[in-house]
Amino acid sequence: MVKVYRSTVLDAPADRVWRDLRDFNGMASWHPSVVLSRIENGQPADKVGCVRNFQLKDGSRVREKLLALSDYDYTCTSAILDNPMDLSHYIATLRLFPVTEGSRCFIEWSAEFDCPPEKVAELGETVGDGVFQTGFDALKKRYGRR
Amino acid sequence: MKVSVIRSAVIDAPIDRVWAVLRDFNSHGRWHPAVASSRMESDLDGDVVGGVRRFSLTDGAELREQLLRHSDREHTFTYCSLDSPLPLFDYVATVRLKPVTDGNQTLWDWRSQFRAPDHRATELENMIGQKIYEAGFSGLRKFLAEKEGLPRPPGPEAATAALPAACGEYLPSKALVVASTGDPEVMTLTDVTISAPGPQQVRIRQTAIAVNYLDLQHRRGTSAGFDLPGTPGVEGVGEIIDVGEQVNGFFTGDRIAYMSRKSGAYAEIRCIDADACIPLPDGVSDIDASTLLKGVTAALLLSRVFKAAPGATILIQAVSGGLGHLLSQWAKSMDLIVIGTVSTTEKAKFGRDRGCDYPLVVAADTSLAAEVMRITHGRGVDYWVHSSGARGLDAALACLSRCGHCAVIGDRDGQPISLDVNVLKQKSLTVSAPVCFDYFDDRPFLHRLVHQLFAKIQSRTIIPAIEAFPLSQASKAHSRIEARQTMGAVVLTPGG
Repeated sequence: MVKVYRSTVLDAPADRVWRDLRDFNGMASWHPSVVLSRIENGQPADKVGCVRNFQLKDGSRVREKLLALSDYDYTCTSAILDNPMDLSHYIATLRLFPVTEGSRCFIEWSAEFDCPPEKVAELGETVGDGVFQTGFDALKKRYGRR
Repeated sequence: MKVSVIRSAVIDAPIDRVWAVLRDFNSHGRWHPAVASSRMESDLDGDVVGGVRRFSLTDGAELREQLLRHSDREHTFTYCSLDSPLPLFDYVATVRLKPVTDGNQTLWDWRSQFRAPDHRATELENMIGQKIYEAGFSGLRKFLAEKEGLPRPPGPEAATAALPAACGEYLPSKALVVASTGDPEVMTLTDVTISAPGPQQVRIRQTAIAVNYLDLQHRRGTSAGFDLPGTPGVEGVGEIIDVGEQVNGFFTGDRIAYMSRKSGAYAEIRCIDADACIPLPDGVSDIDASTLLKGVTAALLLSRVFKAAPGATILIQAVSGGLGHLLSQWAKSMDLIVIGTVSTTEKAKFGRDRGCDYPLVVAADTSLAAEVMRITHGRGVDYWVHSSGARGLDAALACLSRCGHCAVIGDRDGQPISLDVNVLKQKSLTVSAPVCFDYFDDRPFLHRLVHQLFAKIQSRTIIPAIEAFPLSQASKAHSRIEARQTMGAVVLTPGG
């Protein structure tokens, strides 16, 4: 089991950031690697169990299922169904915590998955830096610096 | 009643260092300003679950608290109050740390729940939040800085040191000067000296200078009110170097923004009438504050000009532009339906990310009216923000709903615009031509709009998008605007 964890601080209140991140179909609007996203079977994006199907910048496709969504504690958990990489049993959680000092927010993104032993380092980096940190960098830019 | 207190902060130290101090339940005497001394009953260690600590506070009060849970893996501990001088019942608190991997810092979350008498709930919530938790954050920061040689949090000393030392009669500066009107290249960076401020002026060192469309017209010579040789720019942000003898309420070191009918902003240092200055609150950066004129113009259109109502539909021309992207975010925050026109799909995506529900890419063969009628189910839009002069005004009027309102702003092509009032009568239409400075002579009104704008920026309801250029590259900034290559607001940064 490989575990990946990344976190950062964004210069906007958690409520404001959650408005953008709770949209399970909204990743294309903020994550630079995601080009197109749609929810399969025309289901609403906040229906637990719905499947998002997105196209990455390199043309490949990823399908992910929404396992849990909580407006109460700003959490979204999803599992990968199909992906072009050697990942299996991939479950990721994105969570916000308010930082009351300066009304900012803390965002953490963690994942657990299985993969062939020789690919642990490579895939850990792809997920941690390529997906999580790249997403954070785009969010930091989006909310700006005060 | 049940009370819940939550406070959190980011500590500029790795989690292991912060946890090394906090994991000791008996450590508060060393770093918390409110705790004079702390000891464990029965001489237990500070990480024994079930252990009881006894505090003496700096005000002489005594209290006892018991450790209920402690985890090195989760960087967390939970404790309850056994005896307290305050009317707190069932007080249970949790301290939890999380690593900020991006920057190697630490999130510290401190929260509690308890019951308290109704009439004292708010008072106790504030007291615990501020005097215990927030004071604890500062106390630990100070402790880490002193004991472990970490950088100290910026205090008042640091702020004073950052002030410009020079405060003489004349200060050297650079300004962009237009000797004769024409292309962007007519602006040349020139050495100038700035004399001390007049009796009702302040002298400021600028940090961000807004580029407005009016500046381009001044430079081209297509708009009155600009004398040659002259320096363009009607809006900027900076820090006060010194103040004239009759100025009240502004001091050296204050951060201010200003907008003025008089040009001269494209410079490092300048003098400006104190009347035109607006103090900046913490939480609004200099660069964000440089969108002041565009932001309050957006507010003016929605509040005074349109008197916009929630649920109404607004069409914003050039929705990805400096004014457009602020206006669409503001309109969205009022629950308006926002349609915007843009010239490229890239700008459409930019607009959609900033509150525009329907960004329409307008090409030569586009029937805008058909699109607008499709979106509004044949009703038309209630408000139309028109910035393309005579071009497209007939189409705008055709797209308005009954009793609709079109505001003609800016002066894109300088051509005369003719209007047939009979056309307005067919649908009870209003066409207005607001010039913002005419409204802003009403200073209390302006200050209300400024207050609303800063509040929306602080809450990130409005996020200004800014393309910054060094002051020396003002010509390039103008060229890019004329080629319609920019998105959001354009700002010049002296020394950048």
